[in-house]
Amino acid sequence: MLTIGKIAELSGLTTDAIRYYEKEGLISPATKSDAGYRLYNDDAAPRLLFIKQGQQCGFRLADIRQLLTLKTLTASCCSDVRKVAIEKKLQLEAKIRDMKAMSTALDALILGCNAEDQPIDQCTILSSLEVEHHG
Amino acid sequence: MVKVEVFYLPGCSRCITGLDELEGLVTSFGPGVFAWGKLDLLQNIDYAVKLGVLSSPAMAIDGKLAFASLPTPKQLRAALGKFVSA
Repeated sequence: MLTIGKIAELSGLTTDAIRYYEKEGLISPATKSDAGYRLYNDDAAPRLLFIKQGQQCGFRLADIRQLLTLKTLTASCCSDVRKVAIEKKLQLEAKIRDMKAMSTALDALILGCNAEDQPIDQCTILSSLEVEHHG
Repeated sequence: MVKVEVFYLPGCSRCITGLDELEGLVTSFGPGVFAWGKLDLLQNIDYAVKLGVLSSPAMAIDGKLAFASLPTPKQLRAALGKFVSA
């Protein structure tokens, strides 16, 4: 059995993060010691690595919970996991697209402001934000 | 001709079930009315993102996301009807 400190060391996570994942139902100790310390079995560290790497790929904890469930279901297959991954990619691509649009909008504001020494009440960026834009 | 496009994932059985029936419905309006197309989501991801597709299968009609999942024949008939009567 491994203590929370040991699996934190093995997974590269903090003990606070592990407690948080426990609270979210992603991991649980196998047992507790007589003194009340959490004790984990050997598959805890790989499971934590799975969670950590899932988050690095953009998966939310709810997605990771779904993946962990798929992993245990004999009826599930690789295409189920692939579908979750592709849908996550779609969400990320949509966010990237939105952020690019925001960046382009900022470019227009920055280019429109060429008077660095104008008083604040003549700031073209501030006045542009006050005008409703269409399209 | 109005495009009816289904975004699907090859190998995803849920994406393919019922597609034949929907295709039959689309083509039943006669030639030159609707153009049916099946698009591999991964091969067309930029276009899918542009339309707002967030899951598979999904369906776009006339270049706009119409259904976030596959519609029933009744739902599709209603959606296509708007183009025919217009």
